[in-house]
Amino acid sequence: MFGAGAMTNAIDEIRDSEMMFVIGSNTTEAHPIIAMEMKRARQRGAKLVVADPRKIWLADMADVHMQLKPGTDVWLLSAMANVIISEGLYDQAFIDEHTRGFDSIRQKVKSYTPEEAEQVTGVPAEDIRTVARMYATTKHAGIYYTLGITEHTHGTDNVYSLANLVLMTGHLGVRAAGMNPLRGQNNVQGANDAGATPIYYPGYQKVTDANVRRKFEDAWGVSLSPDDGLNLNVMMKEMSKGNVKALYVMGEDIVISEPNVSRVEAGLNRCEFVVCQEIFHNETTRFADVVLPGACFAEKDGVFTNSDRRVQRVRSAVSPPGQARPDWQILCDVARACGYPMPNYAHAGEVFAEYASLSPNIAGISYQRLDQNVAGLQWPCPDKNHPGTPTLHLNGPMIGRAEFQAVDYRPSAELPDNEYPLILSTGRTLYHYNSATQTRRDPGPVAKQRGNFIEISKRDAKIYGLEHGERVRVSSRRGTVEAEAWISPRVRFGCIWMPMHFAESRANLLTNDEGDAVTGTGEYKVCAVAIEKIKSNVAQPVELANS
Amino acid sequence: MSDSFSIKLNGQTVDAFTGETVFQVAARTEVEIPSLCHDDRLAPAGACRVCLVEVAGQRRLQPGCAWVVTPDMEIITESDRIAKHRKVLYNLYMADHELDDAGLPIETGNGNQLRELCKTVPAMNLEPVIAPRSGRPRDDNPYIQFDPELCILCARCTRYCDEVEAVNAITLSNRGGETTIETAGQRSLIDTTCELCGGCIDTCPTGALIEKKAPVNLVQLGGTEAVRSTCNFCGVGCQLDLHVQNDKLVKVTSPEPGETLNDGNLCVKGRFAYDFVHHPDRITQPLIRGEDGLLHRATWEEAIKATADGLMKVRDKHGPDSLGFVSSSRCTGEENYLMQKLSRAAFGTNNVHQCAAT
Repeated sequence: MFGAGAMTNAIDEIRDSEMMFVIGSNTTEAHPIIAMEMKRARQRGAKLVVADPRKIWLADMADVHMQLKPGTDVWLLSAMANVIISEGLYDQAFIDEHTRGFDSIRQKVKSYTPEEAEQVTGVPAEDIRTVARMYATTKHAGIYYTLGITEHTHGTDNVYSLANLVLMTGHLGVRAAGMNPLRGQNNVQGANDAGATPIYYPGYQKVTDANVRRKFEDAWGVSLSPDDGLNLNVMMKEMSKGNVKALYVMGEDIVISEPNVSRVEAGLNRCEFVVCQEIFHNETTRFADVVLPGACFAEKDGVFTNSDRRVQRVRSAVSPPGQARPDWQILCDVARACGYPMPNYAHAGEVFAEYASLSPNIAGISYQRLDQNVAGLQWPCPDKNHPGTPTLHLNGPMIGRAEFQAVDYRPSAELPDNEYPLILSTGRTLYHYNSATQTRRDPGPVAKQRGNFIEISKRDAKIYGLEHGERVRVSSRRGTVEAEAWISPRVRFGCIWMPMHFAESRANLLTNDEGDAVTGTGEYKVCAVAIEKIKSNVAQPVELANS
Repeated sequence: MSDSFSIKLNGQTVDAFTGETVFQVAARTEVEIPSLCHDDRLAPAGACRVCLVEVAGQRRLQPGCAWVVTPDMEIITESDRIAKHRKVLYNLYMADHELDDAGLPIETGNGNQLRELCKTVPAMNLEPVIAPRSGRPRDDNPYIQFDPELCILCARCTRYCDEVEAVNAITLSNRGGETTIETAGQRSLIDTTCELCGGCIDTCPTGALIEKKAPVNLVQLGGTEAVRSTCNFCGVGCQLDLHVQNDKLVKVTSPEPGETLNDGNLCVKGRFAYDFVHHPDRITQPLIRGEDGLLHRATWEEAIKATADGLMKVRDKHGPDSLGFVSSSRCTGEENYLMQKLSRAAFGTNNVHQCAAT
């Protein structure tokens, strides 16, 4: 809305914050080192507000914890906008100079009063007022969010609501402020930057733009498709319908990480051909016709781009095991075997040079410069003399004007009912990582978290007759898994939480694959479930790490 | 910036700012002041007394890490009086420390800063101090080892745990000669608020804290160059130094504080969760599913051909948009670039994505 999906500000600016508004981000577990910067800022006196349905670790050191009901973010944020507008705390000069459509917001949020918000979200109206005032009147106030905002059928609306707050208060182009999505994986930013997305070529250039397409056709020597491709969520659904018939999966365990994985499995079974490029056998390689052994990060060269748009080198330190090879070499061989004349890159740096030459926002970055800049280079970095851009929009306005996006609250796609009375949210823990093929092979994460669990409130535990550590069966309309019940003060009454890491007990058998209309992102954060205690006294087999 | 003024540091006039310590001023000059208990990420503690300096007008020596400068202050960092102080201080440390055959504090592999300092003064051979300090004998955590005999109680580890990681899993406990670093009730770190980040090991100046899984002596490794790389877990982008011995990854450390965005810090995954790299479960050979429904070993030539044939057959039969390419946010930028190029240029479809939600 006012740029690409990336942090507007740099991670090391956080320490100079005066206020941090952390929403839908369990930062200490999902981004531990960014959380350290937040703790540092807190110790220097910065205010901290946490908005999260769970009483996460950061909530303990927060000035205000807004423990909203899952999926009610638009109500909460619109009520904050309501307070800021009705109390005249907005930044008129910034709005006049850099934005469009403020009146639409003014009209829209009129009906989102803090008192009604309290009814919907469960957050006291007075807290909403306090936080809105604090945010609007603090100069160095940054918003930090993660998948708690985006993994909803109204994820885009959540992001718009946050952006509206940023724009009306002029928190853009200011150090230690801005709008900061913390990216979940080492190179999710870089994968998007590189064009692994169905609507953009590398550098966020639209595949539907004829001029852009011509540029890439010239560079690659072939004619290219003018149509947007399928996003992953839709691709999985089309596969289950039999419309996608072959799948090439590199480095992703889709039958653990995608929502409603039964449907994904059904789709893989329908496929005529599946190839997996992996470092470990996982749930997805069970469906593969061909398995290609790739190299892990310590065995190859390349770049990762982190949350704050920082391009940094990955350097080969050890050899891949056996016949495993760096993934970039495998991809080149496959392309050539398919008759496409992929150039003979001597080194990953030559691939990067080609990629950078086609992507204006990283055109000034080279391996040589990355070797010289130990802290990496942040895009935009359009030419070889450009120092990189830690803070976006810092010295002047954006290109054009940012548009306010008036949105209405829509409930989550699947709400609790008599049959499935609890709301399940899923997420990551500190100790494991995604499908945990890496972390479950190390003793520390296993000692801390051996297998799957749910967090459940004391009140709910009483209703279901559960003691801490007892096993439960969790069911949704899509599947059933077993897990330990951990009675936890972190979760709200009526809500449970489950990590997504465990292959033998997959949270994504339960989750809803209804996707956001714009991004296709599944609703991992809200689905309706039922639980029942498992009465058997027989000890359950527990998976142990092999090391 | 706050007000600037000048002070005299070893006779030289240098700029200083309101609120700065002697250390902060000296850091901008050539002047080096030794220290054991100081870490830029922590509030000054003045605990180790190694950094004592002469301040004009002050009867006692003062700790440079904590002493706040004022206009026209005169500071001396090297003098006979300071040298005498250091000689006695280092010898006192040695009397209360496990020594090696050379009579120096032993090196456990992380670089013992006390040992380096002790080399700079003549040995006084003081009577060893009998200090019955307790460790954590029942601590079965897999990563962090504490040896109380090598600890000088500078409290960098407990202050790091409090001020940086903010989990307060360890603390100074007991009194006098029995003072030591403990968890509540001498529990295993696994059963405390400890998040196994290993920052305590990293900040320890004497090697009293070491890694259980990497007892490798990096100091003895000598000329081995660490390979600077980027962590492969979350989206923060911490920089890592990968230490390699015989083509094996043996240890992971952070670059020095202040150098990269992680400022010397790592989490449990970045520092410790690297066993997967050399794990026997790694896929080491291309595999092709046979008529029997099982995966069989194949050569690279066979596997590449099978991949190309499989994809081209589906494209020829059903068109390019019947193909899907799932790229990876765990792989490099170059690999993502090549995957989308494969999808678009070799097959003519834009059906390429990765888990972009995150």
